[in-house]
Amino acid sequence: MSTDSFPEIEADLAKLPPAVLEDYREAAGAMETAFNEEEFSLWAKEGVAIGNQTVRSWESAVEYYRVSPQVARSLAFPSFMQWARCGTYLAQDSPTLAVAFFRASPLIVSNLRPQYIPRWAGLGRSLYKGTWKSSTLSAKFFEISPDLIRNLPFWDVEVFASLIEALSYKSYDVAVECLILGRDVLPLMGREREAFLSMCRVLTEGSWREVKSCLELAPKALSQVEEGQTGRFLKLGERLAKVGMRDTSRFLSDGTQALSQAPSGSQGQILDLCEGLLATFPDAVPPFLKSLSGVLNRVTMSQLETWYHQGVELLKENPESGIAFFKVESNTSEALLETLSSSLELERIKGVVRLYCSALSGTNIDVLDTKELVNKNIGWVDEDTASTDGSKVFLPPVVDHYNDKNENFAWFKVVATHQVGHLEFGSFEFDFQKPATQFEEQRRFDLEAQRAAERAEMLAKMEQLEGDPPVLETQVEAFTDIGRLLQLFDDRKLAFDLFTVLEDCRLDFRIKVDYPGIRATSERVQVEARSGRPRIEELPLREALVELLIHMSLEQFTDLPVPREYQEEAEMLARILFQLRVAAANVEDTGEAVVRAYEIISRLTNQQQPEEEWEPQDMDDPGEFSEEEYQSLLDKLKAAQQASGEDGEGDPYDSSEPVDYRGDFKPEMVQLLTKLQMDQNQQGEGQPLSQEQLEQLLQESAELELDAEQGEINNSMSAFAQNIMKEAGVPPPNAQPGQGYGPLLNDDEQGGELEAREPKTFVYDEWDFRAGDYKPRWCIVKEKVLEEGEPTFYADALKNYASVINHIKRQFELIMPERFRKIYRLTDGEDIDLNAALEAWADLRMGVPPDDKIYWHRNRIQRDVAVVFLLDMSASTAEAIDEGRHTVDDRDAPDDPVEYMVWLRRRREGLVRRHYKRIIDLEKESTALLINALESIGDTYGIYGFSGYGRENVEFYVIKDIHEPFSEKIKRRIDKITPLHATRMGSAIRHCITKLEDEDATTKVLFLISDGRPQDRGYSREGVEKEYAVHDTHMALLEAKRKNITPFCLTVDKAGHDYLKAMCGDMGYEVLDDIFSLPERLPMLYRKLTF
Amino acid sequence: MVDTAHQGYKEYAIEEFLVRSEPYYRPVGDELELFSAAYNEHIPVLLKGPTGCGKTRFIEYMAWKLGQPLTTVKEKGKKTQEVGEGEIRVPLVTIACHEDLTASDLVGRYLLDANGTRWIDGPMTRAVKAGAILYLDEVVEARKDTTVLIHPLTDHRRILPVEKTGQIIEADDRFMLCISYNPHYQSALKDLKHSTRQRFISVEFDYPPVEIEAEIVQKESGCPAELALSLARLGEKVRNLREHGLGEGASTRLLIYAGRLVGRGITPRRACQVAIVWTLTDEVELQRSIEEVVSSIFE
Repeated sequence: MSTDSFPEIEADLAKLPPAVLEDYREAAGAMETAFNEEEFSLWAKEGVAIGNQTVRSWESAVEYYRVSPQVARSLAFPSFMQWARCGTYLAQDSPTLAVAFFRASPLIVSNLRPQYIPRWAGLGRSLYKGTWKSSTLSAKFFEISPDLIRNLPFWDVEVFASLIEALSYKSYDVAVECLILGRDVLPLMGREREAFLSMCRVLTEGSWREVKSCLELAPKALSQVEEGQTGRFLKLGERLAKVGMRDTSRFLSDGTQALSQAPSGSQGQILDLCEGLLATFPDAVPPFLKSLSGVLNRVTMSQLETWYHQGVELLKENPESGIAFFKVESNTSEALLETLSSSLELERIKGVVRLYCSALSGTNIDVLDTKELVNKNIGWVDEDTASTDGSKVFLPPVVDHYNDKNENFAWFKVVATHQVGHLEFGSFEFDFQKPATQFEEQRRFDLEAQRAAERAEMLAKMEQLEGDPPVLETQVEAFTDIGRLLQLFDDRKLAFDLFTVLEDCRLDFRIKVDYPGIRATSERVQVEARSGRPRIEELPLREALVELLIHMSLEQFTDLPVPREYQEEAEMLARILFQLRVAAANVEDTGEAVVRAYEIISRLTNQQQPEEEWEPQDMDDPGEFSEEEYQSLLDKLKAAQQASGEDGEGDPYDSSEPVDYRGDFKPEMVQLLTKLQMDQNQQGEGQPLSQEQLEQLLQESAELELDAEQGEINNSMSAFAQNIMKEAGVPPPNAQPGQGYGPLLNDDEQGGELEAREPKTFVYDEWDFRAGDYKPRWCIVKEKVLEEGEPTFYADALKNYASVINHIKRQFELIMPERFRKIYRLTDGEDIDLNAALEAWADLRMGVPPDDKIYWHRNRIQRDVAVVFLLDMSASTAEAIDEGRHTVDDRDAPDDPVEYMVWLRRRREGLVRRHYKRIIDLEKESTALLINALESIGDTYGIYGFSGYGRENVEFYVIKDIHEPFSEKIKRRIDKITPLHATRMGSAIRHCITKLEDEDATTKVLFLISDGRPQDRGYSREGVEKEYAVHDTHMALLEAKRKNITPFCLTVDKAGHDYLKAMCGDMGYEVLDDIFSLPERLPMLYRKLTF
Repeated sequence: MVDTAHQGYKEYAIEEFLVRSEPYYRPVGDELELFSAAYNEHIPVLLKGPTGCGKTRFIEYMAWKLGQPLTTVKEKGKKTQEVGEGEIRVPLVTIACHEDLTASDLVGRYLLDANGTRWIDGPMTRAVKAGAILYLDEVVEARKDTTVLIHPLTDHRRILPVEKTGQIIEADDRFMLCISYNPHYQSALKDLKHSTRQRFISVEFDYPPVEIEAEIVQKESGCPAELALSLARLGEKVRNLREHGLGEGASTRLLIYAGRLVGRGITPRRACQVAIVWTLTDEVELQRSIEEVVSSIFE
């Protein structure tokens, strides 16, 4: 066959400009080899047809012939002809189009599936509207098509083309520009491309000019958004555009800017907020996003939500002001931000405050939110005031007294120091018997004797009066020392108020002396506390005098209003108070001071004094306290009392308002709790307090404020009493389920501590990161030796991985010689190094001082490694590996035990006959290889597996105990490693630590091999399901590290990066991308870790 | 010893190093009496206690004190004259033990010289010969083979076998072996063996009570009493954090450093920061907590 064989074609072509024929002839050679004769003729004829379409279509024909050989290489004949036909049609419309089409083709056909070629041609065609401009656009499209097709999926190209078409109705210039931009920008996008195009599509209907700017902005802007969130973000833009937002490009730049400011991981949260806003007030979204970055600089995410919700409320009332709010152009908004940004959340400084308090008090102090104390319902009711129960310090959750974070922190410190002061300076150690130091006489003993005498007298009287045994209310024996003191007074409330103010006064003075560093702040706080006090002049006399003491305790000594008639009394009170302003004063002094102050105040009638009676007094130097003067004053008062003969009490005494920063002071309660706890610890000695006795005690306590009706009090009393006993750890006298509390062990959330009763069970604490503390004795680990299976698995694994084993062995052997390497030229050693000795000898002969380093010595650095491998035997390890799409996920394990079992069975059933590899199989094989390697170097090692179900059931399987010699048994056990239940990693790790702790090795390694995140029933807390487990595991790993054990986590969970960072912190971990590399990787990692 | 014009240092042979001037030591309990009694009775002493609480100072003080003529026997008038002349020589040989310290480092070794080899006594041999107090600081750190030497020296035999030379040295009558160890610091692995431990009487040291520590800080740093008390109080507070991630509490030595820095015009808060907070820990939260304690105590 030759080109001459189709003379008629040549003749036809000759009618066209000569270039056509030339190109035909040039291509013909190549085409002859590609096609058979018939096909060749069809090809050639198609060219003629193209050339004859319109006047200028010969140009298209030239191009057709020119690219044909290249195209023919990629397309089979039918597809080829289809392609050529497309060209023909295009040429019919516009030769320019056809030329561009043909020109682009060679690069297209190799990248595009043949069936798409007509659609591609159609895309270009659809851009052509018969005008000159449209033909340019269409030609441009063909020109950049190779780039688009190569980089984008075809359907994206289609969407993009239709976008361009839509744009072309508005402006051809813009369309062309966008076309070119799109070519550069779109390939850079990932999954968000679709969302982006769809957003642009919406734009074409309204603000079409935005498309171009969006395309320009997109690459940079979208890179600031977290990968998972870009789609949502763009969707948001689309919906905004739909409701009429005009400047989408602005949205793009502002929005991404704002998102990039958000703390990592919280972009989703912000988008949630935006979407919430979009649903109701779309207009507010752009301003919200715009001010977001500024706002986030000032507040945290949780505070941002507070701010946001306030804004939404405003929007509902008045959209205008709501928008202004979100623009931060309103006072409300600014003020709220100010407060939020300066307020300090306890949560954020808890750690520091806890250590601070522990340092000061010298005991292990826990710092908790006041809410938790209130929730215990043991007598504390106020959520906003600080307090302490003797071992914990309770602080308000948020402080926003000042507009400055540092000042708020300083406030926290003053409050915390005061609370710790109770512990440090022994407020709760009041001992009735211990002598006071600042007062000469111990009047409380006299008083007690006096009261006892009075009672006896009264009893005698009653007996005389009636013959029957008296039904007199017998006073309960005071259970605590403070109770014993307060019992001496008729008006317990007054006595208790006095005790509070005087003890606080003593403390504040001590703190002032011992901690001059916070003096400035605490003075400021005191001044502020004073400003909020009631006016002394308006109070009835007794209350006024107590208030006077409060003012003095707050360091106000001048200008104090005192009624003229009672100057002497006030002065005496001041003297009593000043006795406590000495560093050496102890809590018993406070007790004595209370006795004295009470004696004075209680002898005065509680009546309001006329305004003119009051006179300002300075009390800064009341003079020395003397017992004689006090006694004479007391005598005078007694005389006056008898003279007037009236028993009139005046108004009933009302408790003074508490001083805010000093918080809730409940010494009797604390002593009670401590005492109950102590009794509990030394059971059998003495009579423990019954609930009834406790209730009665509480009734009498002045510390409980019960405003409720009497009936309710009785109810709440018994609840109190029960709670208190629970707090103290006393078992309830007759606990009925459902009442008070019940120690239901199978209930994870509420259950209490567990005990290891069976042999080979161990109890461990669990870390609750929310509480910042351990849950004591929370999990039971049951250690079992794994049953034995067939030893063949071990042998097979070694056989299958023979090459890997050789590799591993070589690696291990490389380091081996180091153990035996000799070190030469030492001053001392096992034997003489001949070379050096000869040199030295030579030197000697020459009369030169020789080098004395003539010994060699074997390097004695012994490998001293103990290692524990912990294998995850959770159900999820049953996942088949081959089915990559099946995500390893057992997070959906149902909580209900029954459901859980069903779920588990279902999971396992599917695995009865399996032909594929599971994660566990690889774990097993790795174990085999590892054992093989470890045996060769002789390290001490243990291999364990763990699984379990619930906190009382952490199963810990021994595959090889740490000192157990390797044997046939162990080979058999490996065979029995099977997927079981859940993964409570923390306790398993803790048990490993226990095992390693006893080891006497310089290098200790804990190697954790898992397939996913820790998860178990009840291994969570509300709202923070996943974090709880991760934090506990993290803490367990930290514990290991503290005990000089190097922890290392190896996971095959590809999503592992998400939580491993949080779980391991700066400890080593690795996420294995290719799970099949596990058997090889594991020994390698081990080598790295221990050599 | 050559006495050149402005020689800034002094050179002694190991066994000639005497503590010549009285070191400051503030006894807390009966440790002086205990040590003197042990010295006279040839009983080796083990000093236990955390770092920087004064163990080394105590030994120095004892070396000085035991070197003093016994004032009880001397007449009062003579005492002042006799210093330096009539003193009993109690040299102090201190060796800080480390994990590469071997028995031959202590006993001695052969060195080559132009005429062959020459035996050089190690510090322990010299101390044994000179009748010194030999103080092995942080003894658990030393190689296990040192026990070979410690054991015969610390029981009734009081001998030092020198394997290389084939000799046995009977210790001078005044020789005493004293070791120190820090129970907080050592892990369970590096504990002293009981057979070693039971050759010593143990004197426990801890940081002194606040008042005494304040006195020490004041004396050593020359700072005002009030500051010294505050520093001592800070020390006490910081030591409370020992169970909370702080390996060791602030030592008296550090408190003294802080006091000295203040004496040079550094503000107390800053001095405590550099001498105590940053020295003790690298953990940010802990640092912050200690700083809060500092800022509470110091203005």
